[in-house]
Amino acid sequence: MKLLTHNLLSSHVRGVGPRGFPLRLQATEVRISPVEFNPDFVARMIPKLHLVEVPKGPIEGYEHDEKFLRQMHHVLLEVDVLEGTLQCPESGRLFPISRGIPNMLLSDEETET
Amino acid sequence: MPPSKPYSFVRYKTAEEAKEAYVTLNGKEIVDDLGQKIILYLNFVEKAQWKELGLQALPPGLMVVEEIISSEDEKILLESVNWTEDIDNHNGQKCLKHRRVKHFGYEFHYENNNVDKDKPLPGGLPDIWDSILEKWLKEGFIKHKPDQLTVNQYEPGHGIPAHIDTHSAFEDEIVSLSLGSEIVMDFKHPDGVTVPVMLPRRSLLVMTGESRYLWTHGITPRKFDTVQASKGHRSGIITSDVGDLTLSKRGIRTSFTFRKVRQTPCNCSYPLVCDSQMKETPPSFPESAREASQLEREYVHRVYEEIAEHFSSTRHTPWPRVVDFLKALPSGSLVADVGCGNGKYLGINKELYMVGCDRSQNLVGICRERHLEALVGDALAVPLRSGSWDACISIAVTHHLSTAERRVAALQELVRLLRPGGMALIYVWAMEQEYKKKKSKYLRENRLRQGKEEEIHSDAAEPESLGEQVPDAGDQDAPCRVSAATDVRAGGGSASKVTDAKLPVHTNRTSFRSQDLLVPWHRKGNPGRDEPVGATESRAPGPVFHRYYHVFCAGELEEACRTLSHVRVLQSYYDQGNWCVVLQKV
Repeated sequence: MKLLTHNLLSSHVRGVGPRGFPLRLQATEVRISPVEFNPDFVARMIPKLHLVEVPKGPIEGYEHDEKFLRQMHHVLLEVDVLEGTLQCPESGRLFPISRGIPNMLLSDEETET
Repeated sequence: MPPSKPYSFVRYKTAEEAKEAYVTLNGKEIVDDLGQKIILYLNFVEKAQWKELGLQALPPGLMVVEEIISSEDEKILLESVNWTEDIDNHNGQKCLKHRRVKHFGYEFHYENNNVDKDKPLPGGLPDIWDSILEKWLKEGFIKHKPDQLTVNQYEPGHGIPAHIDTHSAFEDEIVSLSLGSEIVMDFKHPDGVTVPVMLPRRSLLVMTGESRYLWTHGITPRKFDTVQASKGHRSGIITSDVGDLTLSKRGIRTSFTFRKVRQTPCNCSYPLVCDSQMKETPPSFPESAREASQLEREYVHRVYEEIAEHFSSTRHTPWPRVVDFLKALPSGSLVADVGCGNGKYLGINKELYMVGCDRSQNLVGICRERHLEALVGDALAVPLRSGSWDACISIAVTHHLSTAERRVAALQELVRLLRPGGMALIYVWAMEQEYKKKKSKYLRENRLRQGKEEEIHSDAAEPESLGEQVPDAGDQDAPCRVSAATDVRAGGGSASKVTDAKLPVHTNRTSFRSQDLLVPWHRKGNPGRDEPVGATESRAPGPVFHRYYHVFCAGELEEACRTLSHVRVLQSYYDQGNWCVVLQKV
């Protein structure tokens, strides 16, 4: 699971609604997989991210800041979480990540109607 | 340590001895009994679990009678079996991947693991067995005269998966004569206890009671068995006394299994594993969300998990119009593929960031193998952020939901994911497989594909160009009426038809006769139990799986989309046996 994907996930436990993300990530096994750098692509991703703890947001003109883009590229696309857990921030429910695959299935009782 | 591989663990008394062993043996090349070169690989492990098995007993009702046949008779009996030549020769070499099988008295069918009691095979059991069976009856080794015989020939490396002989097919007593070679057979109790039993050459295995009805029996496909050195070739349990174990090379074993066909339902004391007593109620049209969920779990999710690999191998060609949709999206778009299956569409356009979601762990595993981003989740509760996606695709997914409510809910999920202005592409299987007088590829391939593996949604390289015209209900010969809209507005989950109706089973590659049905999937035969080799012997097609579908009528998908809020239908068309809609979130 890439960190960009993690940024797009949301928990569906009943009652959490829009507070189902960001899921708290605890990674026990991570792999770095090189991905071809496409600055344009990365620049387009930035506004779509859910960014926490960035008081002022990305600096102006980030689209042309190659160093910044390369850093984001590495973090978002090259870090692959193989094993770990994701935790719903509202309910505390844990979801496993196994062999790079997050399993977000809920039981019938847990799902929102 | 790669999973699903056998490993041996060695425990040394001291660390020094262990180190010495490692230094001496790691990487060493040796030659085995068959003359094969083997390299030993050793590694230290932090922890090894030693299962100390308690004193084991044979499964209740199990008996092994040794030397029940003389060597002379063994030779005669083995020669009496006329194996027809295997026609499937590969370059003249016999390529027997699986064990050979012959049936007498009644044909055993591997599709349902049962016999056809109304169709006995002519000739009954071969005459040569008459006197032997009489003798066994007289001496009390067997209590009933069998009327069915299955002959299995196992070459080294062959096995048979663990199973219980179908209760409803055969009476209590099942006996099996081993000729040609000894073998170790594993008996497993549902609690997890495994008892390996040595079946010596020329011995008779008698299974009755618990050992016949409750324990499974099987033979591991391998060329060597681990046996009790001190016991030699005598019967008994192979214990875990590590100091007394040795390897025994397998020979060719021919088993003669005698059974009596049951004429009345089984009434054993083990109902949980008894097919007579646990007669599966055929699935019916769901009447509640809970029933719908159960139906889908049994007839969609479980099936896809089982057939994942085979299914994936038949899903290799992306549909061109779906590809067009994806390629037309601007670079840097975030796209969700809900019900992504084997990830067929996830890597189509490298300019997009696509994430797949599927209910099947195994199918998502295949995506992962292809280095595609995917996760396990449900289409009714997609675990992705709302309003964040530039596009969604749902290809051949919604038709697996068993009520109109759930189908609409799935479409609603797609809309929830989209950002304003985002677009969704939805494909569902159409009831009408013949559009404008032209048969879809699914129907046309009927004659060609008889007997071969099923490919339900034929991966056409070129779908017929049928124009962008919105199909009109009046245009078709379609027998069904659009009922989705009325269902949804009425808020009910069931169709305005007969309730508690049983779901019909569809015949592949024919027109659909009902909107809600079970569609068979024939998995390619597996080695072992399901697929004995041989031209005239039973060519078992392998297990059949039923998948639930609700096929859509003309206009039904479009109507369902129009009931959603904040949605505009951009396109609505028919593509190669599917109804398709492109909608946009406003």
